[in-house]
Amino acid sequence: MRQFFPVEDLARDERFVQTNMAERMKDGRTALELKESSAKSRGASKRLTPDRHDASDAARGLMHGIMVGEIQALEGAGRTAHDFATGDGTSDTVPFELKLDMARQAWDEARHVEISAKLSDWMGTELGEFAENTVLFEAACSNDPILRLAGVNRALEGLAIDVFTQMKEFGDIAGDPYLEFCEDWMLADEVTHVKMGSDWLRKVTANDPDRRSKALEFQQVVDKLFSFGGARGESEESSFSLATRFRELAGFTDDEVKTISEMDAEALAERRAQVLAYREKVGADAPA
Amino acid sequence: MSDTTTETPNVTVSPAEFSFVKYEADEIATIVAELAAMLGMSNPIHVIVDETTPLAKLSEELDGSSSGATVTLHAESGALEDRKHPMSFSPENARESLGRILLRSRDRLRPDFADAPCDLDLTLAENAAWDTYCVGRLARLGVTTNQQRWRYNHRNRFGFGDRVDTAFDALWGADELSWPEVVATASA
Repeated sequence: MRQFFPVEDLARDERFVQTNMAERMKDGRTALELKESSAKSRGASKRLTPDRHDASDAARGLMHGIMVGEIQALEGAGRTAHDFATGDGTSDTVPFELKLDMARQAWDEARHVEISAKLSDWMGTELGEFAENTVLFEAACSNDPILRLAGVNRALEGLAIDVFTQMKEFGDIAGDPYLEFCEDWMLADEVTHVKMGSDWLRKVTANDPDRRSKALEFQQVVDKLFSFGGARGESEESSFSLATRFRELAGFTDDEVKTISEMDAEALAERRAQVLAYREKVGADAPA
Repeated sequence: MSDTTTETPNVTVSPAEFSFVKYEADEIATIVAELAAMLGMSNPIHVIVDETTPLAKLSEELDGSSSGATVTLHAESGALEDRKHPMSFSPENARESLGRILLRSRDRLRPDFADAPCDLDLTLAENAAWDTYCVGRLARLGVTTNQQRWRYNHRNRFGFGDRVDTAFDALWGADELSWPEVVATASA
C-alpha cells in the first residue's frame, strides 16, 4: 500500500469540492466589525449560539466542516499508523503501541464521520453541500511522525475539542437532544486523542529536546492556521472559544493554552488588516 | 465597487458590478423578474446586495401597499452564494432566497398582513414562522428547496418535538394565511 499520501490525492466522490486555506483567505468579505464604533452599534456577538439570526445555517455550515474534518482526521490517523516502520521511536520509526493508538483513533474517527453525516442529514445539509477545506489533512503530511502527532493529535484534535464544546452548548441551548448528545460523546473521544498525542510526544522525545522543540513549533504554526483568521478566540467577534477546561484534561499546560489564545487574537487582527487592505484596493468602504 | 444599478424591465440591481464576489447583476435581475412573474407581481423591484459580508441575512420593504409600490430586497452575499464554490453565484440559492422575501412582500400587499412588523423588527420566531410559510409555497411552485433545512430552522426557534413538527407541516402546506394565522399556526 502506498505511503505518504499527498493532499491532492485524497479520495472523494463527485459531491465534494475541495479548497484550501490560501483560497479561503482570498475572500475579501468578512462578518467582522471593521470599525470600533460599528461593533457597538451593531451590538451582536458572533458566537455561534441559537440567538444569532443565522444560527441554523451557521450551525449547518460548522457541522459540515466537522464532518469533512473527521474524514481528514481518519485519513491522517490511518496514514500515521501505516506510513512509518515499527521501532523505538528514533529516526522515522514509531513504537508499535503508538500505531495501535493511531489505529484506535482511526476507528473512533470513522464512527465520528458516520455520526456527523447523520447529524448533517438531521440539520438539512447534503453531503458536500459546502466546500471542503483540506487544511486539516495538510497538517498530517509531515515526514516526521512526531510532527504529525503535534499537528494532528494536539492542534487538529485540540480544535475539535473547541468546536465540539461550542456545538454541544448550541444543542443544549436550542433543546436539540441529538446534537447535544452526539457532540458530548465525540468530545470525550477527542480529549482522549489529544491526550494520546501529548503523551506520545513527551515519551518519544524524552531524550531528544531539539525534536520536541521542533514539534511544538510546528504545532504553533498549525494552531495559528486553525484559528481560521480569528474564528476561534476569546473575542466576541469569534464564532467559538478555546475550551480551556477540556484542553487541560487533554494534557495542555496553562502556558500552552495562553499561547494558543494569544495566537488566536493575532490571527483575528491579521485577518482584519487583510480585509481592510483588500477593501482599500477595490475602493470599498467598511460598512457603517 | 459601483453604486449604479443594472435594469431588467421593472427590476434594478445594485451594485451593477461586483468587486468581492463573482456575481452578475443582470443574472440576478433576470432571476428576480422570473420570480416576480411566477408570483404575479408587477411592482417595481430594487435588489440591493451587500457583497462585503459572506453572511446571508435577507430583508424586504415596500414603500406603499399598491401594485405600484416599489419593493426593495436587501440580500447579504451569502444568501446568493454557491456554498461549494465560495464567492461564486448560485442561481438555485438565489431563487430560493430572493423568492422567499419576494413572497413576503407579496404577503405584505394584503390587508391582513398590515399588522406584520417590518422585517428588521420581527422576532427570531416570527421570522422562522414566516420563512416556513414562504418556502413551503415556493416549493410547490417548483423552486428547489430542502425541507429538512427549514424544519431544522423552525425547530431551533420553536423547539424539538412532535407538536412543533405538526405546526411546521401545517405552515409548510398552507396558502392564503393572514399574518395572525401565521403566528397562531406556529404557536399552536
